[in-house]
Amino acid sequence: MNTIIQCQQLAKRFGSKTVLQQLSFELHQGDVAALIGPNGAGKTTLFSILCGYLRPDSGNARIFGHKAGSSALFGKVAALPQDAQFDPAFSIGEQLDFYGRLQGLSSKTAREESKRVLALVGLTEQLQHKAGALSHGMRKRAAIAQAFIGAPQLVLLDEPTAGLDPVNALHIRQLISRLSGEVSFMISSHNIFELEQLCNNVLYLENGQLKQHSNSDNTVQQLQHLTLHLEQDNSDAISAALRQLPGLIDLHCTQRRELVLSYNPQHNADFDLAVLQCLAANGWRYRNLTKGQTLEQKLFTPV
Amino acid sequence: MPKLIMTLQHAGLYAGFELRRLWLTRRGLMTLAATAVLWFFLLRYAIAPASDLIASEGFQQMFRDVFGAFGLSQLFAWPVPELAIYWILSLLLLPLLCLFFTANQLCSDLERGTLRLLALRSSRLSIVLGRFSGQMLVQSCLILLSLVATLSLAAWREGGLTLAMLNAAAVIAVNLLLVLLPFTALMSCFSAMVRSSRLAVSLAIVSLGLGFVLLSSFVFYFPDFLFLLGYMPGTQVMQLLPMQGWQTLQYAMLPLLQTLVLLSGATVLLTRKAL
Repeated sequence: MNTIIQCQQLAKRFGSKTVLQQLSFELHQGDVAALIGPNGAGKTTLFSILCGYLRPDSGNARIFGHKAGSSALFGKVAALPQDAQFDPAFSIGEQLDFYGRLQGLSSKTAREESKRVLALVGLTEQLQHKAGALSHGMRKRAAIAQAFIGAPQLVLLDEPTAGLDPVNALHIRQLISRLSGEVSFMISSHNIFELEQLCNNVLYLENGQLKQHSNSDNTVQQLQHLTLHLEQDNSDAISAALRQLPGLIDLHCTQRRELVLSYNPQHNADFDLAVLQCLAANGWRYRNLTKGQTLEQKLFTPV
Repeated sequence: MPKLIMTLQHAGLYAGFELRRLWLTRRGLMTLAATAVLWFFLLRYAIAPASDLIASEGFQQMFRDVFGAFGLSQLFAWPVPELAIYWILSLLLLPLLCLFFTANQLCSDLERGTLRLLALRSSRLSIVLGRFSGQMLVQSCLILLSLVATLSLAAWREGGLTLAMLNAAAVIAVNLLLVLLPFTALMSCFSAMVRSSRLAVSLAIVSLGLGFVLLSSFVFYFPDFLFLLGYMPGTQVMQLLPMQGWQTLQYAMLPLLQTLVLLSGATVLLTRKAL
């Protein structure tokens, strides 16, 4: 499997504050990686190092085998940097054309490319408008559009849907999902639901350290999970009945009307059916039953 | 694509974009309007009346008697007095105006984060070179426009244009650009350091002033180092004032070297800067 990002022992300090500590990880081609962590965890600093905006104090970050920020990566790595804005003096189209020209496109191809990427984010009509004339959400979408100029192989997106209305946020998620086969993504977001939908790889940063690096392919065969959302608030009675099921290892209530059941499939291959039968036999109604844990549960709930 | 070719291509694109900023944006048109107003007043109330005065034989004799020792009587050797006055005014004024006009080479883009979008597509060297070249192109346009206006004034008074007038105008244009090179490169440095063009101008004025004062004090105690004052940007201006013709280019090497050093400094500053 081709490695696209390789970070080794990355460290960065701002004054006396350590922002990244000995951070090492690898991402592979086709990965859609989520970068999660509380405010101040070092997500944006890591992004900035990967984009070449910042130099690490020690360690190294390589993308496609080249040092982050190297000229060999121009056009291959694209990004939506946090708070980066367009020049208010020029129209969005002129600036996208210019970015295309910098990426080696001819004037004509750059103009076609500008139209294409604006269409991707639903901003075709805004080609001639200046950035100042656009709403915050439109500016964000235009900034996302610039990341898709040409044929980038890796796109780094810092909070891509923050500040977008639900419909446009959905469009951006659909766009990422549609392109994720051919393009690798690294997405930083506080929206766990969004990351769960899009990403197959999770980097959880806390205090500048990598707390978890999980991959959806790393299924532990001895332990699987079911998440059960109930209609009634009688978790205690239901929990007591479910605890009797063979194969159950652990059961806990993560929030009101939500139970997470951990079980060993080798002891009971039809554990999910057994849960449904138990609910039906007692006349308990449920809203949904999901295989596995949510990303939120994986990251923040000790099981 | 070899790195050098790519850097030069990108620098060319940046320079072209700056030229578009001058001619096609509101801010650029305001700059053109401000320049036009400034030169209108200079031409109307300084150059035109002074030219009439200089053209009179009595004034020339008096000037030779007073300033002849300083070599300033060479000013009468210009084909028309308008160009002589333009030469003095622009040599003294343009370096100062240049600090203001070229202060925003990188500041706004740093502040807005636009440089982050650019740095993903081009090296920081090409950004510095491109913005610098763009500013030089913009200043070339402004100098050419003001020179055309001055030549028109002279042609109207003299009753036509001569080859000598055009040659003198070319000498002035080339020399002014050479004088402005290190000042523009100096602003490349300061605009790579701070995120506000006003702060960049203040820093430039303070640095030039303080640098001159400190160097002068140093030279006062160590006179052997007097030659160091000659390395300050713009010191050749006083030597150029009494000169005319292509012999002025004998002072071209110093501003070119200063520009090279300052642009290298700007590139190092921007490369080490966190965007």
